[in-house]
Amino acid sequence: MPTKIYDVLIVGSGHSGGMAANILTKSGAEVLMLNAGPESDFERNRVNKPVHDLPFHGFGQPGRLPHVFQSNEFNANQWVDEKEVPYTHDPANPYNWVRVRLVGGRSLFWARQSFRLSDFEFKAGDLEGTGVNWPVDLAEMDPYYSRVEAIFRVTGRKEGWPEFPDGNFVEMQTGPNSKTVEKMSEIGKQRHGMKFSKMRTSLGQNGLASSVNLLLPDAMATNKLTMVSNAIAREITVDKNTGLANGVHFVDRHSHREMHARAKVVIVAAGCLESTRLLLNSGICNSSGALGHYLHDQIYGVQVVGSVPEARDGAHPQGLMGGGAFVPRFRNLTKADKRNFIKGYCVILNSGGNANPDFFADYGPALQKKLDHYAGSCVSGSIFGERPARFENHVSINKNVSDAWGIPALHIEVKDGANELNMAKDAADTIEDIFHTAGWDIVSKTDRFYPPGYSIHEVGTCRMGDNPKTSVLNRWNQAHDMKNLLVVDGASFVTCGWQNPTMTILSLSMRASEHLAQEAKKGNVG
Amino acid sequence: MIALPHMKRRRFFQTVAALPAAQALLAQSTTTSTSSQNPAQKPVSPPPTPAPGGRGARGPSPIPDFEESSYEAVSEYEPKFFTAPQYAALKRLCALLQPAHDGNPSAVECQAPEFLDFLVSAEMPDRQKLYRDGLDLLNSSAKKKFQKDFASLDDTQADAVVRPMLVPIAWEKDMPKDPTQHFMAQAHRDIRTATQNSREWATAGASTGRRRFGGSGNFITPIDPVYRSN
Repeated sequence: MPTKIYDVLIVGSGHSGGMAANILTKSGAEVLMLNAGPESDFERNRVNKPVHDLPFHGFGQPGRLPHVFQSNEFNANQWVDEKEVPYTHDPANPYNWVRVRLVGGRSLFWARQSFRLSDFEFKAGDLEGTGVNWPVDLAEMDPYYSRVEAIFRVTGRKEGWPEFPDGNFVEMQTGPNSKTVEKMSEIGKQRHGMKFSKMRTSLGQNGLASSVNLLLPDAMATNKLTMVSNAIAREITVDKNTGLANGVHFVDRHSHREMHARAKVVIVAAGCLESTRLLLNSGICNSSGALGHYLHDQIYGVQVVGSVPEARDGAHPQGLMGGGAFVPRFRNLTKADKRNFIKGYCVILNSGGNANPDFFADYGPALQKKLDHYAGSCVSGSIFGERPARFENHVSINKNVSDAWGIPALHIEVKDGANELNMAKDAADTIEDIFHTAGWDIVSKTDRFYPPGYSIHEVGTCRMGDNPKTSVLNRWNQAHDMKNLLVVDGASFVTCGWQNPTMTILSLSMRASEHLAQEAKKGNVG
Repeated sequence: MIALPHMKRRRFFQTVAALPAAQALLAQSTTTSTSSQNPAQKPVSPPPTPAPGGRGARGPSPIPDFEESSYEAVSEYEPKFFTAPQYAALKRLCALLQPAHDGNPSAVECQAPEFLDFLVSAEMPDRQKLYRDGLDLLNSSAKKKFQKDFASLDDTQADAVVRPMLVPIAWEKDMPKDPTQHFMAQAHRDIRTATQNSREWATAGASTGRRRFGGSGNFITPIDPVYRSN
């Protein structure tokens, strides 16, 4: 029996692949979706246990998942096994590649912070003088963001600030701020030009905002979507006569049997670095030399903890403590703002926490006395900061290392520079200044941050652009070298901003998929 | 970053019963046990007819949910990783850093030394070296200051050895460069966690109505694990 040729083959089922499947099946396309992992079933795969019943009492199995700081002994089985799917890096420059291989991918577990990029990111090249902009801007993306926000039921407070674009929000009910949050806001505005808002979050449905519950069910309902689990893509195949993609070689995860699926269009949505790994292993789409380059994500870290004297020793003055605030990027919004770093960071402030035992050089009852003294009196601040996209931060194929299915592994070379260090120092000093000015004692302060990759917001490596000599994808997420091959996940990003990238990934995938559907009807693809 | 939907508590056999293969086994087990318990008595109604494909009737599991005991509650662990002087120093350090306090059991009562011997034995070589060197240093410092092993020091003497090694840690991943301070920060953190995540701590907390430290959580079981090659 001859193999069916699908209209579209999608590799990956997370937010970006799910959106592509949703749009394209509704347009009438016959879609095949390959998922590297199995379908998850929370009902079946989760068992409530006390921590002392775990084999390692919550410490986790030593040596397992050394790069996944989010891992703990409860959730270790949800992450990709680093021995099964290894990657390499220079030991001096660690990279935390955090992956999920389940149907729905990382969309099952994201934190649901939901932001738009602004033109301070889309047009960052103009502001910073590099000339490297996205090929799209906020006005062009606005209708797609709005539709995505409706699907994901994003809640937020409208502010009217260009650096923090409003969206199609579910109205949010918030109570009054605590006095400490009010004080932070006043000082932050006066001394640092900060603007104070609230977190924006996808409500989703039933606490889940994943492709598996918001995107794939509609696609399945069309009867146009064929999903295959445990199919690990090895290589995109190319028609020698046309130079166009014509399918994907994949390996069955259990049997290791090699198979080939055929399609007129291939959409890669495997999650940024897995997408790029697939392209690199296929030896395609790199006439620009940009494939694998400009890998970047966000700084997560910096921690300043203060203590409000009136709230110590168990005192709980009415309305003093509690709640928090969100400060969108406030640095480098004008060319006149001269700093020793480019780009910016957002600040997350909280009130009413406890001190960490690590903060004190003490032990036993004396340590407990200090913890009790500070309990409930702490305020804290941390940041998400933008790492610049640099050509030298890149990935390549390590031909000496393969995964459990014999597919060559990725080698990741990413190094932080002075920009990141200066940005973090500025953030720590700024937060400290607010707490100090408020009359609160500084309990602990650090300008350190997690290694690259930790944010799980890795983007770039197939960046989009109008110039085929400097970018991998065009403005519609199509490969410049192969118009019937699209990459619709975060790999297409030019700059990441300080924002969680999910809303932008979803919007770009929606936009690219609709354009593809229109072009296919005109006979312009495949 | 984790945001999972609410899920009710599931028991193992309820979970197993959801699997087709297990259902077939359970259905078989039902008919066998009914007839073997009382061969003379016929069932009031005939057993459910298995559906095509081996699926039997759904219903409560006929396999009882046995109350089981933890292996830790019925046995003891014999320390084997550290040398005797190192282990004695570790036990003394546990007693010093985490004594019984405010109704909470001590690290020693919670068997933190025994657990840490096991945990460090499974750790990476760099962590093992950190512990071995650190414990050796406690003993050598004690001998230098008091002509005794660390395990033989009283609280005042032990404090004089330990106090200079204690430093504040502002960032969980930014441990001190000095190996002695690094050891003390790591050991202190591990002793706290081993104590507060222990069965003994939870039991003491439950008896006083106090919230347990480690608590409980949703353990994710292996999801469709791959076939391992021989």
